[in-house]
Amino acid sequence: MGRLIEEIYVWRLPVRLYHWINALCTVALLVTGLYIAAPLFNPPLGEAVFYKGMSWWRYLHFAAAFIFIANFLFRLYWALFGRDKYGRFGGFRPWSPAWWGKPFLEQVKSYLFLRSDEPNYVGHNPVAALAHFLFIFCGSSFMIFSGLAMYGENNPGGFNSVWFGWMIPLMGGSYTLHWAHHLMAWIFPIYLIMHLYAVFRHDVVDRSSVTSSIVTGYKHKVEEEPV
Amino acid sequence: MQSNQSFADVFRAGGVSRRDFLKFCSLTSVYLGLSPSMVPSIVEAMEKKSRTPVIWLHGQECTCCSESFIRSSHPTIEDIIFNLISLDYDDVLSATAGHQLEDVRRKTMKDYKGKYILAVEGNASTKDDGVYCMVGGDSFLNTLKETAADAAAVIAWGACASFGCVQNADPNPSGAVPISDIIKDKPIVKVPGCPPISEVMTGVVTHFHTFGTLPELDRFGRPKAFYNTRIHDKCYRRAFFEAGMFVRSFDDEATRKGWCLYKMGCKGPTTYNSCSKIQWNAGTSFPIGSGHPCIGCSEPNFWDKGPFYTRLAEVPFLGSDSNADKIGVIAVGAAAAGAAAHAAVTAVKKAKAGSEDNDKA
Repeated sequence: MGRLIEEIYVWRLPVRLYHWINALCTVALLVTGLYIAAPLFNPPLGEAVFYKGMSWWRYLHFAAAFIFIANFLFRLYWALFGRDKYGRFGGFRPWSPAWWGKPFLEQVKSYLFLRSDEPNYVGHNPVAALAHFLFIFCGSSFMIFSGLAMYGENNPGGFNSVWFGWMIPLMGGSYTLHWAHHLMAWIFPIYLIMHLYAVFRHDVVDRSSVTSSIVTGYKHKVEEEPV
Repeated sequence: MQSNQSFADVFRAGGVSRRDFLKFCSLTSVYLGLSPSMVPSIVEAMEKKSRTPVIWLHGQECTCCSESFIRSSHPTIEDIIFNLISLDYDDVLSATAGHQLEDVRRKTMKDYKGKYILAVEGNASTKDDGVYCMVGGDSFLNTLKETAADAAAVIAWGACASFGCVQNADPNPSGAVPISDIIKDKPIVKVPGCPPISEVMTGVVTHFHTFGTLPELDRFGRPKAFYNTRIHDKCYRRAFFEAGMFVRSFDDEATRKGWCLYKMGCKGPTTYNSCSKIQWNAGTSFPIGSGHPCIGCSEPNFWDKGPFYTRLAEVPFLGSDSNADKIGVIAVGAAAAGAAAHAAVTAVKKAKAGSEDNDKA
């Protein structure tokens, strides 16, 4: 058995709040978004004017989307100005060849079972940082920009139409934009599976209590005792 | 007939009363989204300005734009406009043909250099020097370039000229391109649709005649007055959409009740046009009004976004037709399988390492 030798406060409250709000919004957005694309429920009986069968799903989607955007902007603020050692973007430098060097390769090799030992990181390891950049930063940005462009479609000349409407010709038309938004939504369940798997696996292999750390904020270092 | 007649002269000669003439001017200003104070400008332009010469070219197309134009909702007045816009060249409608007609085109280009409107219906084939569309003994590609050189402005009629339509749908055998890919140095107004609504077509011509400029255009180069909003936003079935009352098959009760066609693949929510406002054939109906989903004919590359009767487009993926959901589910499945395999290898490695440790101990 291992012995707890250190307790490290890794995820400060703003990061944990961001994480869970983001998780809830993403699930809500995916479910409501898929429903909007293919409404399943039976129609109500009677006059259309009394019902909001589709409006509610759209309303929930838009409400979750605005919380998601606010949360995303808050996380950007925290990363840039939060002075949070583990929550900032400081260490992520994909434009520099050095970043792709030893630490990144070691982590990749470890994931590919080419190394027996696991490199230890208190915050995100370089592969995790890259995954978060691609899926969470780029993915969310695309979903936000394309989503706001579509949101602005019913008010031509309005704020969203003026600031985000350029997405429509960029994607080759409103329909293609909807299609791309729909397709890109699938990266989130893919990310979710990889994320949960990586977290549980690290918890089992490293025994760093990474799973509970996103609730409590604390990770632990474990020392192997000689048997 | 004199070549410098005004519209009003033509109207009078055609037996249209002044009252009807003013009605036409008011209605056109409404279509163009102009304030009532602009009506006198239209009347004045119609009465005093000599008619704008128009050269109307036909490339790779089906002539549905012309068919639409001659079926406008105010036949007396608009038919006169159409016949007497000073439509100097239109190879489909002219009485003359051959060299005689081509001479007329060249004469107009010379006499009204920099002043005539070039209206283009259809697009040009660019593959193999454009041999797949030959008009009057020359490739349409050459004719288009030649005629556009001295035009004041260019009107791209219909989906073909604006975006390419069926000719440049995959696999585009003739190398068809929208005319904006060929004419780069002239103001172009795109009037997409397959065909465009006739009132939209006369509206664009009237705007140019009145103000001498093209109407205000959106990001795709379409006149904002007609292409600013989606079919969906002005659709009379929108209430059924919001209530979640959808047609699920073309023979169900909901079809008879006229519910929303969203689930039948209606492209109204992504199509910018005036069908749900102005409607067709003197305001008689429009596709959704007749129980058919919108196919999005005024949107770029609408042929490649099919099928018409499903909401989600099919795209080639791994050698077969697929859609965004199928691709997504396959990718999620692959991620889950990958995670499971990785977990299995981890477990095996760990068990191995564990037994080695035990051996050492």
